Amino acid sequence: MAERYSSFRSGSTTWLLQRLTAAFLVVVLAFHFFNLHFVTHAYEIEFAGSQARMETLGYYVTMVLFLVTATFHGVNGVYNALVNQGIDGKAKRAAQIVLGVAGILLVVQGVRVANALAGF
Amino acid sequence: MSESYDRGLVEDFGRWTEFSAGMWAWVFHKFTGWVLVGYLFTHISVLSTSLQGAQAYNNTLSGLEGLALVRILEVGLLAVAVFHILNGIRLLFVDLGVGLEAQDKSFYASLVLTGVIVVASVPTFLAGAF
Repeated sequence: MAERYSSFRSGSTTWLLQRLTAAFLVVVLAFHFFNLHFVTHAYEIEFAGSQARMETLGYYVTMVLFLVTATFHGVNGVYNALVNQGIDGKAKRAAQIVLGVAGILLVVQGVRVANALAGF
Repeated sequence: MSESYDRGLVEDFGRWTEFSAGMWAWVFHKFTGWVLVGYLFTHISVLSTSLQGAQAYNNTLSGLEGLALVRILEVGLLAVAVFHILNGIRLLFVDLGVGLEAQDKSFYASLVLTGVIVVASVPTFLAGAF
């Protein structure tokens, strides 16, 4: 009856975080797409408009949370997919380090972008 | 309640002709996830031109949006994101044990709804591209 196709070990902390970030991202990713493709069309986006949006504290906080949760969800998803493919030992450790560092760099760079647009 | 079920190795893509709906959902969710995480890195790279000032940001974005290929790829990105969102909602319900008996139907519904949303969005995404 119940077929379970998850790449994640049920009950682990990362399993829970993957689902909590998913619930948040479902809403915010849909909002992001709608806001920047239908409310404002992608081809209309300019620095001034991005700046005006990012200067609103609620928008800034939402976008930074979006960045952090999307990075965690994506990097953790890739890691679990690799583990599911059977990597272990040194390969598993290397994946943890490479993906962890890539995730941290992405968040740092994304926050720098948000700060530049917000004028911080 | 749930029973243990030996589905075989879904990671063995050579068995794809034997895949059930739930296994295809797993494969599509992985594929769209890989695309989205790849795009996230690309997206932040492009937006990083804002660190060089308004001119660089505007030139980069208008240059990219002026390419028909980019506009078409954006439709593909929408398809990938919408499917990942809809199937993600399906997975959250499956994890909560809700609608398990209809998990194949909810996968088909995710596919159909993705198709409808993407087709309906094409005029908006491709406006002025050609």
